[in-house]
Amino acid sequence: METSAINLENIFYGYGKTEVIKDLTLTINKNETTCILGSSGSGKTTLLRIISGLEIIRKGTVMINGKKVAENGKNLVSPDKRGLGFIFQDLALWPHFTVYKNIAFGLKVRKEKDVEEKVNGIAEVFGLTAQLKKYPSQLSGGQKQLVAIARSLVLQPEILLMDEPLANLDVKIKHGILEHIVRLKSDFNLTVVYVTHDHREAFSIADQVVVINNGRVEESGTVEQIKNSNNDYVKFFLEY
Amino acid sequence: MGGTTLKYGGLKLIFLLFAVFALLPVLYTYLTALNGFESPGVLFSYQSFVLLFKSLIISFFVASLSTFFGIIFGFFLYKTQIKYALFFKVGFLLPLLISPYILAVSWSDTVFLLRGTGEPVSPVVLTVLVLTFIYTPLSVLIVGNAFSNIDTSLEESGLLMTSPYKVVFKIVLPLVKPAILASFILVFIFSVSEYSVPSYYGVKVITTEIFTRFSAFYNHSDAIMQSSVLLVVSVLLLVAEGKYLSDAPFLSVGSKGDVRKRYYFDKIKRVALTFITFWFLLTVVIPLIILIFQSLKNGMPDLWKAVELLRNTVITSLEVSFAGALLIFVTGFAAAYYVVYAKGGKRIKKLFNVTMLFLFALPSTVLGISFIVFYNRPVFDLIYSGMAIVVIGYWAKFSFISFKILENSMKQIPVSFDEAAIIEGVPAYKRIFNILTPLILPAVFAAFIFAFIFSFGELGTTITVHPPGTGLLPVKVFTVMANASQSLTSSMVLLEFSVSLILVVVLYLFYVILSEKYGNIRNKP
Repeated sequence: METSAINLENIFYGYGKTEVIKDLTLTINKNETTCILGSSGSGKTTLLRIISGLEIIRKGTVMINGKKVAENGKNLVSPDKRGLGFIFQDLALWPHFTVYKNIAFGLKVRKEKDVEEKVNGIAEVFGLTAQLKKYPSQLSGGQKQLVAIARSLVLQPEILLMDEPLANLDVKIKHGILEHIVRLKSDFNLTVVYVTHDHREAFSIADQVVVINNGRVEESGTVEQIKNSNNDYVKFFLEY
Repeated sequence: MGGTTLKYGGLKLIFLLFAVFALLPVLYTYLTALNGFESPGVLFSYQSFVLLFKSLIISFFVASLSTFFGIIFGFFLYKTQIKYALFFKVGFLLPLLISPYILAVSWSDTVFLLRGTGEPVSPVVLTVLVLTFIYTPLSVLIVGNAFSNIDTSLEESGLLMTSPYKVVFKIVLPLVKPAILASFILVFIFSVSEYSVPSYYGVKVITTEIFTRFSAFYNHSDAIMQSSVLLVVSVLLLVAEGKYLSDAPFLSVGSKGDVRKRYYFDKIKRVALTFITFWFLLTVVIPLIILIFQSLKNGMPDLWKAVELLRNTVITSLEVSFAGALLIFVTGFAAAYYVVYAKGGKRIKKLFNVTMLFLFALPSTVLGISFIVFYNRPVFDLIYSGMAIVVIGYWAKFSFISFKILENSMKQIPVSFDEAAIIEGVPAYKRIFNILTPLILPAVFAAFIFAFIFSFGELGTTITVHPPGTGLLPVKVFTVMANASQSLTSSMVLLEFSVSLILVVVLYLFYVILSEKYGNIRNKP
């Protein structure tokens, strides 16, 4: 049985003469939360975009659930067929749609049945029932966050990619949502790939932590392994 | 790959058609003109230099004055708490929405009334003034929008250190420099290409000379070659465009709402309001009142005669302008979408930009002559002998405007909105119609309405290419008024103005209905 959800093998990515990801190899296990940790410009967001198919790699192979989805300059499977959800850093909630329509849009496009039931169901899980008729601009930061997650999960992805989604929230709300994410992972049987520059945030939810620097993996392992790492960059990074 | 990924093939095809139908005739005509050019003296003659100098000087003054007033009005209307700002913002746009020669006529009436039969005002001065009145709204729109898009924190951090006056001069104005340059270059291009106003006032400039050379002597080689000097100017502007215009906040429609920083300058607020009111009266109210007065001074007969004369041309003109506006809008949208969303393709993007600006910068009469030279052959009979040649003329001339309005607006929408939809499996056409379009609806409306109104009032290209015997409103008005009485001319112009205004109102109502349908667009970012 396949235990890895995502396999990245010898990935190269860049634009023009700039190499952003250089010969990166990484395995992300199923039903685990993997945190990609790194400073600004280290290539962590690019990595998520490569997994999702929003960026096309120059060289290497991307496999999701054992299936090759991208290889050497070609996307073999389009982003919507990869079975994943993506929470963008700016959340990308469509501002002219109500919360209901934001969540329902993907279901309608995929011509799924019982759209209303599904939207109401996920809204209840996230405590958003009272907000369904509101527009994103009428919500608090934490509520927007939950709408973005609900919008992704209603499509029942196997993998959830999260790009620094809590960057602009205060500590209290951040902790609440992090707990929510941990719970969701088991409730929805999810593989979560979570990008952050905050190691405390990463350590609070991760099963596996991957530290990347300058487009390469510096170190990967469990939280304890990373905390006790002898890698100079990892030690330097964890000091701040 | 699924249907979510747009391959941009369709967009490239639209652009290819644009290049074939609009650009190719111009390139072909220049090449053949170079081949059959018999009198090089025309290029270096004293008369040519005088004409060129006059064209450039007039355009320089118009661009400078329009931009200067654009900065002042743009600042007070968009950055201060001045009274009736919304009214003036809308009212100021009126001269931009009517054909230049309409204002030329109304100003001619105004001067006639004010001065009677006394010493006439210099036609050159009158041309500069009228063109300045026409293009100042464009500058207000460009610079004003740039003012409202300034990051508030940049101003506020300045206000913590120094006075509001210094913040305006040291921070705000330098930040809108690209918009100021964009305004200057665009108004310059519009003025240098303008045919109707100098022609009406009898001012000889390059565009009128080209038209005369072509229509009187049918010497297209000389006419085209004479315009080559202007082509050099256009190329220089292209270079400037690459440096300043491509990222300038050109005609950004829609703004950040009320989050912009406003200044209170109480001491000069009253003076500013007086000046703005004076300008509004001078450029909008007085010409209109005088136009109405002139057209009705002999009672209703002239007005009825004007209705009789123009009745058949209105519908044709509306149809042709609508077809042109549709092509312009689709091409502008396709080019803007490709430039903003396609990854890579830097050279193709540059090509889109340069081609459209080149055709926009070309004097309208040259564009017309090129189309006649290229399409006047049996194989293109369908285009040449019908209205298609006029439509292609509009398409070539105004696609750049539509492209820039839409490009700027699309750039303001985060790419993640599109990407979130890609991940959800939303097909490309639904992303365009359901996600992108509602968010840029004001720009969509503006791009279409500008295309429609500019096409409806376009004279330089239309008068050159229109098939004989076919009636188009601006051509009919312009040719009839050469021998018509002052009041009949005013009546015809008043009618054309009314049609333009009704058009704008109808399109605006359509926009309101659309924005209701698309949901609460006020919640845009």
